[in-house]
Amino acid sequence: MAPSSSSGLTFKLHPLVMLNISDHFTRVKTQLNPPSSSCAAGNTPAAVAATFPQSFRVYGCVIGAQRGRTVEIFNSFELVFDPTTDSLDRAFLEKKQELYQKVFPGFYILGWYSTGSEANESDMHIHKALMDINESPVYVVLNPAINHAQKDLPVTIYESEFHVIDGIPQSIFVDASYTIETVEAERISVDHVAHLKPSDGGSAATQLAAHLTGIHSAIKMLNSRIRVLFQYLVAMQKGDIPCDNSLLRQAAGLLRSLPAAHSEKFNDNFLMEYNDKLLMSYLAMITNCTSNMNEVVDKVKTAYAKKSRTGGSRIPFM
Amino acid sequence: MESSSTIARKTWELENNILTVKPPADSSSDNIFHYDGAAHAKVLKEKPWATDPNYFKRVQISALALLKMVVHARSGGTIEIMGLMQGKTDGDTIIVMDAFALPVEGTETRVNAQADAYEYMVEYSQTNKLAGRLENVVGWYHSHPGYGCWLSGIDVSTQMLNQQYQEPFLAVVIDPTRTISAGKVDIGAFRTYPEWHKISDDHVSEYQTIPLNKIEDFGVHCKQYYSLEITYFKSSLDSHLLDLLWNKYWVNTLSSSPLLGNGDYVAGQISDLAEKLDQAESQLVQSWFGGQKASRHKKKKDELPLAKITRDSAKITIEQVHGLMSQVIKDILFNSARQSDKTPSDPTDPEPMITS
Repeated sequence: MAPSSSSGLTFKLHPLVMLNISDHFTRVKTQLNPPSSSCAAGNTPAAVAATFPQSFRVYGCVIGAQRGRTVEIFNSFELVFDPTTDSLDRAFLEKKQELYQKVFPGFYILGWYSTGSEANESDMHIHKALMDINESPVYVVLNPAINHAQKDLPVTIYESEFHVIDGIPQSIFVDASYTIETVEAERISVDHVAHLKPSDGGSAATQLAAHLTGIHSAIKMLNSRIRVLFQYLVAMQKGDIPCDNSLLRQAAGLLRSLPAAHSEKFNDNFLMEYNDKLLMSYLAMITNCTSNMNEVVDKVKTAYAKKSRTGGSRIPFM
Repeated sequence: MESSSTIARKTWELENNILTVKPPADSSSDNIFHYDGAAHAKVLKEKPWATDPNYFKRVQISALALLKMVVHARSGGTIEIMGLMQGKTDGDTIIVMDAFALPVEGTETRVNAQADAYEYMVEYSQTNKLAGRLENVVGWYHSHPGYGCWLSGIDVSTQMLNQQYQEPFLAVVIDPTRTISAGKVDIGAFRTYPEWHKISDDHVSEYQTIPLNKIEDFGVHCKQYYSLEITYFKSSLDSHLLDLLWNKYWVNTLSSSPLLGNGDYVAGQISDLAEKLDQAESQLVQSWFGGQKASRHKKKKDELPLAKITRDSAKITIEQVHGLMSQVIKDILFNSARQSDKTPSDPTDPEPMITS
């Protein structure tokens, strides 16, 4: 329904925001639909969805930082929706913002979020109310319906723009594309929860297997994506699909950027790092051997204790 | 696309005989998110933990709480941060639903700083209740960047105070530096024993690498608290989102370079290890000349310092080798593109360069 945004801003979304919204939604859902009252047996998700009005929505605010043309959404918090005035509780928002400012001093209110399938015209009302905090707020919509056939994230980001429709300038929602941005710590904890890795170290073998499996799955994804691209290009070559020059240019650029790093300096650095790690494992092995030898010596000492006590000289064994 | 994540998940589920607490994937599993005020008030009146110091045995942390705590801990860098956790109890399990940060930095005077943070906490809890989060504060968390998950002397006294006045209360410690270096979350949950409770001397706790300058603090207090088992849970919507997230995430997994980010920490670990080696050596020399009797009276469970050092060095090396493996794989993938039909070298062989 919404055309794509032309503002030229790049949006980056952190996974924390998605989990926040999802948690908010799940909480309110279970409070409204307490487990004791829901029918016990055979409660398929479809049945629940039918009996339970999915029309309720949760609202909240997203915060983050904007640097130049990049808008990065880091975090979010819940807001109270006032059904009488059909808008968000302003005093509450300001109070929460104050609290969050203390803990995350660099973040500002970037917009708001809600759950639903897409942006409605009525949401524009709330959107405009936020415009005095941020001239161009973003509107993040999460679709809480669990659809297993879906391959894409059910999150859409909207911006508002003035378009002339039927001669009347109105602001409507336009779709904005976004990327998922993450810091290393976030990635590890998301990975941890998503795949339920073994909680403690386990043996060295399981750790190694964990690490390599992660990389293996990532490489498989890369492989499948490349295959898709390859088939697309082959089809284009055969003439099944009309030639898309911009896509061809992008693919050519991608290929030309390989090999990724090939200078002398890179090779030197790489080899140096490699040698460092080999040195470390060598040292670790030496330590291991020393410790084992120490134990052997102790045991020999204990086993032949009589001899050394009755014997004379103590051989300093260092 | 989906099969790779399913395979990865299934491999983990196979390896994972410990973690059996996995809710079935239907909407009734989201019951854990339901807050039952009446049941909670009843448990608060009964106080089953007052008589049994070991009452709480397990902790369940929600995906959201874990993510928030780890991100907050990492954002502090080398400064310790702290925050509070909200949730509820369920029998002998403490359930952590959410966490929030407190605007104080961890310093030696942390006990005083908590008084400052009370105002923030009260305001935050009030606003939260309005917005639909009904749980109470059920614990606190803080970070130990680089030196492991355990309770220091001050932590122990803070927690003992908390357990007197704010039961039920839990202490969680996160190490963001080790998390990144090892590639898995380094977290521990603890409860202290009240003063009248003494645990037996041959209580064996899990071994951790502790840097030399903290090892005294650790040793003095390690018998005053016990650790709880941690499991994680997520809602059905969370699982769905996380699955889909993998489709965008694999790029980050491949491009992560733990070696580059943690150089300082690794150097610190190695120098610490060197110091410990020196200490162990002098100890060995003394025990040799001091007489062989000492070695025979040693308890079987006590490890020689040298053995501990060996374990530490093995751990550090393993992490480094993992990082190196990622680098080598990336190098092979992206640097060995050739126009010719020369076959690339066997990828299982850790050869760094493919010269043309």
